[in-house]
Order: sequence, then structure tokens, then C-alpha cells
Amino acid sequence: MYSNAYIFRYAGIMVILVAAVLSAAAMLLKPMQERNEAVDKMTSILKAAGFEDVNAKNAIDLFNSTITNMIVINQDGEVVDDFTGAGKEKSKAFGLNLKEQLYNKSMKRPFELPIFKANKNGETIYIIPMRGVGLWGPVWGNIALRDDFNTVIGVTFDHKSETPGLGAEITTPIFTDQFPGKTLFDDNGKFVSIKVVKGGAANLDASMRNHAVDAISGGTITSNGVSDMIRNVLESYEPYIKKIG
Amino acid sequence: MSAATKEKEPLFSAKNRKLLTNPINLNNPITVQVLGICSALAVTAKLKPAFVMAVSVIVVTAFANLIISLLRNGIPPRIRIIVQLVVIASLVILVDQLLKAFVYDVSRQLSVFVGLIITNCIVMGRLEAFAMGNKPWPSLLDGIGNGLGYSLILIMVGFVRELFGSGTIWGYHVIPQSFYDLGYRNNGFMILPPMALIIVGIIIWIQRSRNPELVEEK
Amino acid sequence: MQEIFSIFVKSIFVDNMIFAYFLGMCSYLAVSKTVNTSVGLGIAVVFVLGITVPVDYLLNEFVLKPGALAWLSKDFADVDLSFLSFIVFIAVIASMVQLVEMVVEKFSPALYSSLGIFLPLIAVNCAILGGSLFMQEREYQSLEQATAFGLGSGIGWFLAIVGIAAIREKIRYSHIPAPLRGLGITFIITGLMGIAFMSFLGIKL
Repeated sequence: MYSNAYIFRYAGIMVILVAAVLSAAAMLLKPMQERNEAVDKMTSILKAAGFEDVNAKNAIDLFNSTITNMIVINQDGEVVDDFTGAGKEKSKAFGLNLKEQLYNKSMKRPFELPIFKANKNGETIYIIPMRGVGLWGPVWGNIALRDDFNTVIGVTFDHKSETPGLGAEITTPIFTDQFPGKTLFDDNGKFVSIKVVKGGAANLDASMRNHAVDAISGGTITSNGVSDMIRNVLESYEPYIKKIG
Repeated sequence: MSAATKEKEPLFSAKNRKLLTNPINLNNPITVQVLGICSALAVTAKLKPAFVMAVSVIVVTAFANLIISLLRNGIPPRIRIIVQLVVIASLVILVDQLLKAFVYDVSRQLSVFVGLIITNCIVMGRLEAFAMGNKPWPSLLDGIGNGLGYSLILIMVGFVRELFGSGTIWGYHVIPQSFYDLGYRNNGFMILPPMALIIVGIIIWIQRSRNPELVEEK
Repeated sequence: MQEIFSIFVKSIFVDNMIFAYFLGMCSYLAVSKTVNTSVGLGIAVVFVLGITVPVDYLLNEFVLKPGALAWLSKDFADVDLSFLSFIVFIAVIASMVQLVEMVVEKFSPALYSSLGIFLPLIAVNCAILGGSLFMQEREYQSLEQATAFGLGSGIGWFLAIVGIAAIREKIRYSHIPAPLRGLGITFIITGLMGIAFMSFLGIKL
């Protein structure tokens, strides 16, 4: 039989060995993993802004050359941080945990949110990241706005685990191509958001048609999640938009 | 005598080949041994994640079997289970880290299910049943064989679900547009989780009809 | 409060461990032959999930998460130990199962003898590790939420195994094609139960 001393020695050596191997692997692979995550986020932001030819290779360069300001605002619409230097993936705005901040908002606590200012062929545009809940898990995305903070240029959506073929269709052009040109505010300057409507946006009143898109058939709960997400996130920017506009 | 004869035994002797092929059909880990269903079926809505999951499981079972078999004479029996868990967990962490570094989008689709390979009963089951009592080379083969048997079912389920659920294979459309024009529709039901179970049930049915010795007693 | 209730109900019915994620299928298939034993295993799972998920939540929050060690000293604010989470979670589960076993044995021999062999089995039940991993991935915001999720998932698993055991007790008297007997029909019934459970998707909380 094995003595207790042997068992302890065995366990001790095993733990040290395993810890060494795992830490080495984690440290070696960490830069690549972080780069993957950053590239993924940047690609999504740039796609929303209408850069179609962005890919994993050029994302970082393109992001750094087109995005001019990485701004963080607080719940009162005041600018907390405005990062303009190189290496934008290190800015506060890029690293902000949207889920945590939106949770703070729902608990009526102070929160901070990012907004990215970009220069696309001489035109100033703003990109806002969004996050919400779909049917099975989180949905998120980016929305790009003209500098009137009203007209949508483009959107991207992504999701963790929506039903493929139904809710997961929010990522396809069939859904996202409906957004460009829609507006967030009505003629009186009141925030109405963009609603995802079941049964077709075309059947709505003329006044609402500009603030609605068609839902995904069979993906009602996901569509509602997207609708809620857009309203919940963008309404937090209203104080900032009022200040700037 | 045994040392001399065993050294002469070729690497792929009939016995060793059996270790590799048996788990694929007659002793399939999923449909016959009923091991490791847990972490698998949720990733089979599309073929690609199912394939990556299958490869990860083959790697983990093979290496876990190999490592434990190399260690088998030194492991104190009292902490056997913990040693096994540590070896498996370390391998799974390595696989997870590699996936995150090299195939990021697939690793996002698999999410927590890579971690669940740890409690995949196939790995533990084979370690206990085989690697603890056999030499490294047969253990490696046994690990690969069981991994393959598991992969086979996973890929079959993934293939059926993607073909009928989305009309695609590996992301490419294979059902011609003319079918859709004639009124063919993708069966959205196939993509929902419960269908994976029903498809495995049907695979078991077919397999047992062809191999009557597998039929359960009443 | 409403949030916690919603997580609880969702994890029982909508995100059911068995029907939506197939977790813990091995013991689910192996032990569901009679109602009595499945009730025992089900209770043990609720028990262990209800303990391990909050414990792993605390560990994740104060040790593993990127920057989680900041409470020790400012120097550790950049440390990210999340790559160790699998191994830490499984260690917590294994030791918790052991601990629960000892406590139950000491204070309630009756319960111990009825749970008996099931407790050690639970360490390798995917539903338990799955609970901790989902907790980490979904980034629950407070200990209460994590506990509600752990208990809810356990109860969902309990319902599933007791349900299938009851059906299997009855189905023994039915005439099933021989190759489908046992495992095959159990898979198919579980699939059908899963479809029934999908009707809970419409719950709006």
C-alpha cells in the first residue's frame, strides 16, 4: 500500500506540474486570444459603420484610422473620458463592460457608456454598442448614426445562442438591411426608438413607419429582445445627445 | 514468455485494431455504453461545431487514456479519481485555450460545452475501465476508438439536423432553389434541442435492428 | 426581487438542464428506471447544485475573474486566472459532494441511507459542472441570482428525472418494437417531453 507521505508527495508534485503547464499555455496564448476578441469587436463596429470589406487582418488598422474619438459618457450625458491617441483597443471606452453598466442603469445606480466617433470619407458618424437579452441568451450589436444623432447608417447584431434559422436570423442582411435610413426621434424631437414590429412595418401609420422594421417570423421573442435592446440602450444617450445637439 | 511475445506483437495487430473499431459500432460509447451524451447533443444543430467538438473529444480521450496509462502504476488508489479529474481538466483547459486562440468563432459557438468534456462520462469511464489496467499503446488506441465512436454519432446527428433544419451542409446550401420553389420548406423543428434526442433514439433503433444481440431484455 | 424570481422560474422550465441543454443525461438515463430512486437522485442534485453554484460564484467573483484579486492588493488588479476556472470548479464540486456526504451522514442517517450511492455519483454529473459554467458565462450579478439559478436548475432536473421515471414505469407494460426497447424509447420520450417543455418559452417575466 502507499503511505500517506507518498500520497501527499504525489499530489504536491502533480499540482505543481499541472499549474506550470497550464500557466505557460495561458500566458503564451493570451495575446492571440485577446487579439481575437478585440478584432471581433472592432469588425462588428466597423461593419455597422458601413465598412463592408473589413476582415480579421485589416480590422485593427482600419479601426485605428477611422475611429477618431473613444468617448465615455455618464448617466447625465457628461463626457467622462475622451481618448484620441493611438492604440484605441486600450482606451476606457473599448474596455467598458456594457452588461455591468446596463445593470447599474436598471438598478438606478450611476453608470458609464461608450460612444465611438468616426470619420468616414470626411463625414462624422457615431457608433453605439448595444446589449440586451434574446430568447436563450444575450444579444448584442452596434448601431451607427449620422452626426444628427437621428438617422441610422447601419447596424450589426450578434447573439450567443438564439435558435438557428429563426431568432438567429437577426444577424443576416435580410434583417439588418432594413435599418439604414430609419430615425430615432420624431418630428417634434421626441425619442421614439426603432421598433421591431410583427406583421410588417408597412402596415403602420405613416408617422411610425420611419421608426419601425419587420420582425423575424418565428423569432418573436428574439425580435422583441432586439427592440427592447435598442430602446433601452439608446435612451441612455438622450441626455448626451440633447447636450451636443 | 510474455515479454518476448508481447514485444513481437505488431502495432496494429488484430487485437489492437479491434480496440479501434469496436467502439465505432458494436460497443459504441453513446448508443451501447450510454456514456457521454450530456455534453454532446447541444452542439449538433450545425455540422461545423459538432465536428470541432468531436475532434476535441477525440484528443482529450486519447491523451487522457495515454497519460493515465503511463501513470497507472504510481497512482495511489485513494486519490485515483482526483488524479484522473486533474489530468482530464488540464487537457480540456489546453484544448479550450487553443480553440480560443486559433478558431475563435467556433469556440464562441461551443461556449461552455468544451468545459463539459471534463464531466463527459466517456473520458472518465474509459480511464477507469481501460487505461488503469492496460499498457499505453492499447490505451491510446482505445481512447481514439471511443472518441471516434462518439464523433460518428455526433456527426450523423449534426448532418441530419443541418440538412433538414437549415438546408445546408457545413454552411453551404445543398438543397437546390427549385425545391423551395416547389414548396419545400426547411424543417425548423430539426434545429430545436429535443429533435437531437429523437434522432439519437432513431439511430439506436436502426443500429439495434441490424445487431439483434444488442436488444435489451424485457 | 422580481429578477431573482424570474431567474428561478426560467431555470426550472425554460432553460431546463435536461430538455434544453442535455446536461446530466448519463445518470438521467441510468437511474430513471423507478420513481423512488430518481426522487433520491433528484433531491441530491438539487442539494449539490444549490450549494456549488453559489460557492463557485464567490470563487469566480473574488479569485478567478480578470481583476478579481484587486481586493487583496492593487498589484493584483491585472491578474486573470479565468483559465483555471474548469479545474477550480471541478475541485469545488468534488469536495462539496464529499462534504455534503459527510454532513448528511452525521445529521440525518435516514436521508443518507436513502441517498446512499447517489451522492458520489453526482461529482461526475454534467449538470453540476454545467450549472457553474453557465453561472460564469451568464455573468450573474449577485449571490442571490446565482443561488436562485442553482436551485432552479436543480429543481428542473428533478422534475425531468421524476417525470421520465414515472413514464418508464408505465411503459414497461406497453408493446414496444424490440430494438427500440429500453434506451431508444427513452431518448424519444425525452425528446417529446422536451417539445412539451418548449411551450414554457412563451413565459414572459
